[in-house]
Amino acid sequence: MRINWPAAVLALGLSAPAGACPGLEVEEPWIREAPPGAMMTAAYARLRNAGDRLLRIDGGFAANFASAELHRSIVENGISRMVHGEPLELLPGATGALAPGSWHLMLLRPSRPLKAGEQVAVALKCGRQAKEFVFTVKAAQE
Amino acid sequence: MRAAARHPQLRRHRKFSLPPSKALPLAVAAVAALAAGIWGALQWQARAPAAATLQSGVVLAQPRPIAEFALLDQDGKPFTREQLRGRWTVLFAGFTHCPDVCPTTLGLMKALTQRLAQPAPAMVFLSVDPERDTQDALAAYVRHFGAAIQGVTGPREELDRLCASLGIAYLKIPGATEGDYTVDHSAALVLIDPQARVAGYFPPPHKLDTLAADLSEIAGT
Repeated sequence: MRINWPAAVLALGLSAPAGACPGLEVEEPWIREAPPGAMMTAAYARLRNAGDRLLRIDGGFAANFASAELHRSIVENGISRMVHGEPLELLPGATGALAPGSWHLMLLRPSRPLKAGEQVAVALKCGRQAKEFVFTVKAAQE
Repeated sequence: MRAAARHPQLRRHRKFSLPPSKALPLAVAAVAALAAGIWGALQWQARAPAAATLQSGVVLAQPRPIAEFALLDQDGKPFTREQLRGRWTVLFAGFTHCPDVCPTTLGLMKALTQRLAQPAPAMVFLSVDPERDTQDALAAYVRHFGAAIQGVTGPREELDRLCASLGIAYLKIPGATEGDYTVDHSAALVLIDPQARVAGYFPPPHKLDTLAADLSEIAGT
């Protein structure tokens, strides 16, 4: 079954369920302002597992985007590639990052162009749970 | 040349010095060795002027000529080997349906042009996805990164010819849904000299400071 996550989240009122992705924290969450007409962009943040259980982030969803997928950019033999289907694992107390050139939440098919300064609700999914954060759109430089 | 007689230090330690008949061949050999060393160092420098100080990439010992090709830029103007002559160029191959690496690299190229003394090297974004990157799509995309970046693409055959010259590889990878795909592509920035030859490569991770320093040194800006 394909879960419609935005709808599922709305239906469950998942905005603040105590148990979703327990301990997951983000810092400096941001979305790259996409060039006009671009069908995709990416969301980034520093991550921390403040809980006492392993967290496996395997995707997400975002307001204003048709879908979101967890990807990792890698360079292999000089070739830039995207890896997907691989969860980002955070041990208790560990930090990680969604960062340019590495893990990122790819955001697809925006409903409208998003401008720098706008705020977007982005949920990070850990298995069947998801935790929502507010990401800020930024004109990325460096 | 009587080295012992002319050199005060040798004269002072005369009892330790060699008789002139043996000192002369040795002195000649030493001078020859020194000269050979300097000559060798100069030759090495001439071949790879910046390699010794490059922090972020490699300069080819022998720049590699680029075969002729015919592509178009984002305004529909011809982009051929002629456009590469008379200036340094930094080229990155990618595609616009690329959420992470391509916009990150183009942002870096924009920052580079702002950092470097003018005239900075020309910055070219070569799309290896001409099916989706139409002229209009490419124009909207590169303009987002300022006027300094030129978007270039064209027929597959011409694109492949240029990629072969540049040592760039790319491969379409089917996506999850029908018709969807992504493109694996070379991650390095390619440096092209004012004679339209491949002069070097800057592999990732790209750091603005070291790239700017290296480009200033190589491209003399």
